[in-house]
Amino acid sequence: MSRYIAGRLAQFVLVLLGVTLATFALLHLVPGNPARTLLGAHATAAEVALLDREWGLSRPLPAQYADYLVRLLHGNLGTSIYYQVPVSTLIGRALPVTLAMLAVGAFFGIAAAIPLALLAAVRQGRAADHAVRILPLVGLGMPPFWVGFILLIVFSLTVRLFPAGGYGTTPAQHLESLILPGLTVAAVTTPILVRSLRLALVDVLGSDFVIAATARGLARWRVLVRHGLRNALVPAVSVLAVNLGYLLGGSVVIENVFGLPGVGSLLLTGIFNRDFDIVQSVTLIYALLVVLINLGADLAYAALDPRVVLGR
Amino acid sequence: MRIRTAVPAALAVLLLAAGCSGGVSAAGSADSPASGKPVHGGNLVIDIETPQQDFDVNTTSDNESIWTYDQVAQTLYLNGPDGRSLVPGLATSYSLSASKLQWTFRLRHGVRFSTGAPMTSKDVVFSIEQALNPKSTWNFIDAPIKSVTAAGPYTVVITTKTPWAPLLADLALFANAIVPDDFGGQTRAAFFTHPVGTGPFKIKSWVKGESLKLVRNPYYWQPGKPYLNSVTYNAVSDASTRVVQLKGNQAQIIEAAPFAQLSALKAAGYRLGLFPSTRIDYVTMNELFKPFKDPRVRLAVSDALNTRAIMQAVFFGHGQAADSPLMPDVSYYSPVGLHVGNLAAARKELASSSYPHGGFSIDFIAGAGDPVQTAVAQIVQAELKPLNIAVKIRELDPSEVTAQEQSFHFGMRETYWTMDIIDPDEYVSFVLDGQAGSFANFTHFNDPVIDSLTSQAEVTFNSSTRQALYTRIQRLAAADAPIVWLGYSPYDYVSSPAVHGFYVYPEGNAHLENVWLSG
Repeated sequence: MSRYIAGRLAQFVLVLLGVTLATFALLHLVPGNPARTLLGAHATAAEVALLDREWGLSRPLPAQYADYLVRLLHGNLGTSIYYQVPVSTLIGRALPVTLAMLAVGAFFGIAAAIPLALLAAVRQGRAADHAVRILPLVGLGMPPFWVGFILLIVFSLTVRLFPAGGYGTTPAQHLESLILPGLTVAAVTTPILVRSLRLALVDVLGSDFVIAATARGLARWRVLVRHGLRNALVPAVSVLAVNLGYLLGGSVVIENVFGLPGVGSLLLTGIFNRDFDIVQSVTLIYALLVVLINLGADLAYAALDPRVVLGR
Repeated sequence: MRIRTAVPAALAVLLLAAGCSGGVSAAGSADSPASGKPVHGGNLVIDIETPQQDFDVNTTSDNESIWTYDQVAQTLYLNGPDGRSLVPGLATSYSLSASKLQWTFRLRHGVRFSTGAPMTSKDVVFSIEQALNPKSTWNFIDAPIKSVTAAGPYTVVITTKTPWAPLLADLALFANAIVPDDFGGQTRAAFFTHPVGTGPFKIKSWVKGESLKLVRNPYYWQPGKPYLNSVTYNAVSDASTRVVQLKGNQAQIIEAAPFAQLSALKAAGYRLGLFPSTRIDYVTMNELFKPFKDPRVRLAVSDALNTRAIMQAVFFGHGQAADSPLMPDVSYYSPVGLHVGNLAAARKELASSSYPHGGFSIDFIAGAGDPVQTAVAQIVQAELKPLNIAVKIRELDPSEVTAQEQSFHFGMRETYWTMDIIDPDEYVSFVLDGQAGSFANFTHFNDPVIDSLTSQAEVTFNSSTRQALYTRIQRLAAADAPIVWLGYSPYDYVSSPAVHGFYVYPEGNAHLENVWLSG
């Protein structure tokens, strides 16, 4: 197991190196100058050039990239040229917001998907099954920003159960502020999760060991949960991992709708301001999270299915 | 609500002669000044479009930072609510020497910084001197100042290199706000992280990129003000989210509400604040592009564009077509009339030009994703087609648009201007003066008569004479058409009915010390 993890981590280093190179190259290939953005339209070319020199942006690109890598190796993510504060401070503040939003979303997604998939699988081919199978079509047809606004209009403006965006200042307010964004995340993940989990359950519930367990007189719920669900969860975990990685990118939209100060919002303003260090660092963190989520999914397979032995 | 303090005689003469009515256009008022007895207390939340970036007055250029800084630090004279007048701020009066070179300012007594320290001439001298930094983005405004000296604890003398009529307006620029001598012993960088001034509020906390909280300055010099305990600015980039937050009472004032939603918000009981602004949108024509060197081609292009329709379309019925190169809420504006929206005249003008049949292609640069720039580019493209002039739109990163403009790699572009000071000198020097560093807003337009009139206006103190000079400048610019002036649009705010006394001045700043919350 530890050899497997070490091997995967070594692969990750290569992946992350590729991500840094691609992000750096793309950012510098796209026209746009942060000094010009900061100084505004009245600044002269000489003033822009002066700031470029001060920030080291007039140096050759390979030298700038090498500097960036050396800084990264020292754990230094750089300084935001727009806000003039360390990028690590900005990310340190924003990342917990995004992770908390995804965690709440994943919780809601799993909490909704498991009973729905069980219901559909148990009542295969009947009305309940059809209803649950239509759900993905409806869910996938709704863009997250639209779902977000509908939730805000219903639960914040009409029923007034939750705040209309923002993040609050206390832990209780933070949690309250994450409910609707979490539901929006769940609206995106649940349909796919339900569909894959239902398929896996239908497959598992028809297998010999489930029939054998039922024949041995085990309680229905025990057969469903201990034997059926546990086996069906393996492919579902994979789907959830892929979706969470996808949603990390989608957090830009959801955070914008709810006015959440997460890394998505940070990335967006970073792109607009050509704030190189912010964009590079957030992209790197996203890449790191995606590979870690996938590693987590692999480890979860092993935990859920004893037949899976990692590293062979 | 407005600051109403005694205007010294000399200033009053200046204002009266400037044609200042002292009134405010009622159309833009979100709230009448007399909407009840102000109540103390309450915490106001304002949703702004982009976060404050930097308060260092030598480098900052974003409006959010400037307008927030106005709540914290104040200038010797302050812009008046009508966009044309000045009212005493930290100075109570001034006198001008016979040579018109020395301005002696008498400072207000009893003014304290938010630290409790009294403000004296030492602080004023330091503040203006630090603004004179040649590296400052705003140095061009203070460039005529030769020296600043203290002539007693409450007297300051400013000497200019030449007689300089716009000085009082220049001193009202945020970059000339008064801060403690030597930044109160802090480094420049540390000071501007949490700047200290004599304004109605002081900075309590600032989470860069997210929110900024101001709390009342207990030492503020206007008795009984400010009314609010705190003002929190939240950066909410999505316009629809700002509207939702207003409706959910997460915010009581929102900036830049979508124009398309204004009617619905008004019907729902919210207060619309369409405040007269100094914004003017215009399309520049690069005269290094050969066809635009011919004034008849420029006039033909101007004639062909229906600015009324453009302003209506782009600002959802809230824009107004320009009738002068100057804005109505700026001193010395004169509605001289412009060549616009007449295709027959455009054809006739083009026929008499060096390109009688058109047949050339214009490179129109526009900021990618900028709704105004891209919409205007498309309309210009359609409206120049009948003249057999092709328009190729090149969408670029906003900073790249400016870079291409400043290196003259473009044919046309849409841009806009808002005034930072009340005197038109700032705008006319930048947009029309061919001898200035801006090459007449990067058009390479050069009219020696306009340049000479601009210089004369700078050294002329008599307002009638200045009015005559600026009227001539406006007429000449309209006749030469170096630029297509599209029109004027208001600042767009929406507030909850509980907000009173909120008024945005034509330069974009609001005096939040006058704002109070009811209920």
